[in-house]
Amino acid sequence: MLKDQIINLKIEAVGEILEACSLDELEKIRATFLGKSGKINALTKEMPNLSNEEKIVIGKLLNETKKTIEDVLRQAQDKLSSQKENHEEWFDITAPGIKPQEGHLHLVTEAISEITSIFASLGFRRTRYPEVEWDWYAFEGLNMRKNHPARDEWETFFIENLENEKMGRGILTPHTSSGQIREMEITPPPIRMINIAKCYRRQSDVSHAPMFYQFETLVVDKGISITHLKGTLDYFAKNFLGYDRKTRIRPFHFQFTEPSFEVDVSCGLCNSKGCKFCKGGWLEIGGCGMVHPTVLKNCGIDSSIYSGFASGWGVERNLMMKSGLKIDDIRLLYNNDLRFLKQF
Amino acid sequence: MNIQISDSWLREFIETKATPEQIEECLSLCSQSVEKIIDDRGEKVYDIEITTNRPDCLSVYGIARELAAILPRFNIPAKLKDVPSLKIEKPRKSLPLTVKITKADLCPRFTSLIYDNIEIKPSPKFAQKRLNASGIRALNNVIDLSNYLMLELGQPMHTFDYDKILKNKMILREAKEGEEIITLDGQTRKLHEEIIIIEDGKGRIVDLCGIMGAKNSETDENTKRVLLFVQTYNPMKIRRACQVLGFRTEAASRFEKGMDPEGVITTMERATLLFKEWCNGTIGSDLIDIYANPQKEKTVSVSKEKIDSLVGIDIPITESEKILKNLGFETNIEKDTLSCVVPHWRYNDISIQEDLIEEIARIYGYHNLPNVLPPITTLDKPKDTTFDWEYKIKTALKYWGFTETTSYSMVGKNLLDKVGLNPKNHLKISNPLTDDLVYLRTSLIPSLLEIISKNNEQNIRIFEMANLYLPKGNENLPDEAMELTLATTADNYSQLKGILESLLKELGIADFEIKPIDNWEDILRTSMVGIYIQDLHIGITGKIKKEFLDNFSIKGEVLVLDLEVRRLLKFATNAKKYIPSSKYPSIIEDLSFVIPEHTFIGQVIDEIKFVSELVKNVNLIDSFQNTRTFRVEYQSEMQNLSDNEIKPIREKIIKVVEKKFQARLKD
Repeated sequence: MLKDQIINLKIEAVGEILEACSLDELEKIRATFLGKSGKINALTKEMPNLSNEEKIVIGKLLNETKKTIEDVLRQAQDKLSSQKENHEEWFDITAPGIKPQEGHLHLVTEAISEITSIFASLGFRRTRYPEVEWDWYAFEGLNMRKNHPARDEWETFFIENLENEKMGRGILTPHTSSGQIREMEITPPPIRMINIAKCYRRQSDVSHAPMFYQFETLVVDKGISITHLKGTLDYFAKNFLGYDRKTRIRPFHFQFTEPSFEVDVSCGLCNSKGCKFCKGGWLEIGGCGMVHPTVLKNCGIDSSIYSGFASGWGVERNLMMKSGLKIDDIRLLYNNDLRFLKQF
Repeated sequence: MNIQISDSWLREFIETKATPEQIEECLSLCSQSVEKIIDDRGEKVYDIEITTNRPDCLSVYGIARELAAILPRFNIPAKLKDVPSLKIEKPRKSLPLTVKITKADLCPRFTSLIYDNIEIKPSPKFAQKRLNASGIRALNNVIDLSNYLMLELGQPMHTFDYDKILKNKMILREAKEGEEIITLDGQTRKLHEEIIIIEDGKGRIVDLCGIMGAKNSETDENTKRVLLFVQTYNPMKIRRACQVLGFRTEAASRFEKGMDPEGVITTMERATLLFKEWCNGTIGSDLIDIYANPQKEKTVSVSKEKIDSLVGIDIPITESEKILKNLGFETNIEKDTLSCVVPHWRYNDISIQEDLIEEIARIYGYHNLPNVLPPITTLDKPKDTTFDWEYKIKTALKYWGFTETTSYSMVGKNLLDKVGLNPKNHLKISNPLTDDLVYLRTSLIPSLLEIISKNNEQNIRIFEMANLYLPKGNENLPDEAMELTLATTADNYSQLKGILESLLKELGIADFEIKPIDNWEDILRTSMVGIYIQDLHIGITGKIKKEFLDNFSIKGEVLVLDLEVRRLLKFATNAKKYIPSSKYPSIIEDLSFVIPEHTFIGQVIDEIKFVSELVKNVNLIDSFQNTRTFRVEYQSEMQNLSDNEIKPIREKIIKVVEKKFQARLKD
């Protein structure tokens, strides 16, 4: 009867909906059952022929059936459309990302920042002293009197028409050691200085640029010894170059330190076995020594109470010793070729 | 200075079973550095770097002497051998020679001896080979002999043909201005005062002392009698001579380091043996030895306490004594103090207690000392924070897409000309390396333009932070002013200003002012504006003039931002302040005005903000032709705002903008 027809219709509709595989199919099903000329409406058209009692019962049943079909249909639509989303949202995970605009710090800036923080962890303070300097600070005060042969090591640039009666000629400082005198002049011990600055020497080849950076340590205190120098420089080398690197000091000579040393670090390329880049497994890293009593005296520090050590090393040289960087010409750093700068 | 010495030669003076590799390592660790071992047709040759303070090591014998003290410390027995030599005996008849030294300090010790019956021929094969290995060409036995002895014992010497010294007379004096000498290499050299020379009895200059002999007195294949000179010269005079003459020989490099006058006779005696063996020469004259002021004994003392505190470990004083004894010091211990007589070959090098400590420590072995960190201590001065700020600025710029450049502080005239800067306003290097590294720069802009021009790229964004050198007269060092300069071909004014605004915000600087500049003395830029913080000029920004860009062949525009870092950092702060967010929502509305041309929009925004404290924010959100649309945000800390509160403010904004800027609200 009509009541059974309605119930069957409901079962039929729900069955078809559950079997449908696409949104298109569901739309067809919706039209078949719920559309204007659909099956529900067709049954509704038979309502006027019914008794009043039947009208109430059938009307209610039809409404329920319609609502059920609508609900099931909606659920099926939701399910299929979410499946569709998952399915169709294919994207190329290998396509390049969209980067924020990227800039680059200079290699030396990065190195200086690293050096500063390594020494800061030992309580050293970074200082700033002149690059255009008097002879006194760069040579005379450092126990290199005029005409001393040791001065030949520093290929010095002189400034025209710059001279001071007491201080001598104006020059471009050839080393950060001028900062030793500057620091001791104004700072009573204890001193823990790290002076990183541009230096200038009159030479240019694969391992020398006319402008380069050095970093100078200076420690002045009571009881400072060679073992402290060794400890500090070894700590630096391990932290900057790698924890597996070893250091050693060898006798050397500077006028402003006594004793003086050269520091070697084990070669990172051959694991200190000896290769064409090193000397028997060692690379020279820079010079250092115990501050000469004459230098202390020149700065008004009593060498019978205080002693100290100092080192002055090339930033670029240390940078180039970092394993893997492979820069074969120091001047590349200052050519400002953007193809170079943008690699780092 | 490096020397190259053959292994077999070294072993003539030291008896040891040490291998060349052991010698290399031990010598490097405790004395002079062996840079490498060269294989010279089957013989090992040591290439050794000798430090300037150790002229005593510039010889085979000197190295052997060091090794004799060092090798036993590594448990390798070693013994120094005697130098084979012949006593100098008076000949039956002495060839005449008179010598006059005008000033004793020119030549602390002068010795000479004449050898007769010389046969000129090639020197022995082994000697030729050793000389070659040391980088000296073998010529004949007499010339080779002096070179050989210089390498073996360290003392340079000179040989004359005795018969070419006229009237058998020599006067050692300083040259006069205008005199000339033709040296052995055939060069005519103009002499100056201070240069030591020797003239013969006829007034001919026969020697450029300590540097090179004269052509007119050289030995040749016919030489029969050789006058040998072994002396020491005033090192400063030799050095000065080399500087003014502009040339230096190996002999000069040794003399300017100071030779040992006490070693002279040993060399003479060794030479006498070699003249006999290599040239069949016999002594033909008395030894002339002029030594006005013999070296006095020099004693240096050091206490155990001082040794221990400088080295950093406890070294028994007897051990220190043993080390110094092995190095040739005569020692004496009194209580805890070690007194040492300095050996003559170390006379100039050992003067203070630290010098002795170096000797003790290096032979004890630096490799035997522990690594100890110095104690962390309180420093009585504030940290210089500018380095951190500078790094922060650089890092920010990096993340905003700028690449840091580093160019030389020196620039050439050519570069200054390109931007119309006057070289006269720059410090000048008197001995520049190249034409493009002459003047110390007073602006980073030319360097950055050069970098842009050199790099063939679109959209270049670069910056550099470096010192400028601003001259302060002839007797003062220049002001070294840290400058930050950005140059971009990728940004317009608003974008560059945005960088400036963000940068200042990073530095904790909230307020700054931008003003147009009309008469800036620097003519690098057009459409330039000045940047001010609390009325202090901190920099400028603007476009580079087209004519200058043309000089660099740069097409398109270049904008720069130029900041005086020191001034900027006066205002930088890490201090933060918390402002609570309002509990009440804000109301946002957009107001569009038609504004006359050339109106500074910054001032309009400031005026709108100034109308009421309920105006929390004003942003320019759209510009089209003469219309500017502002988004105004109203907010109260006290209550919810309704149109009743906003209406009067809005009306006031409209009134102010219309009146002050001759603008009109757009419907």
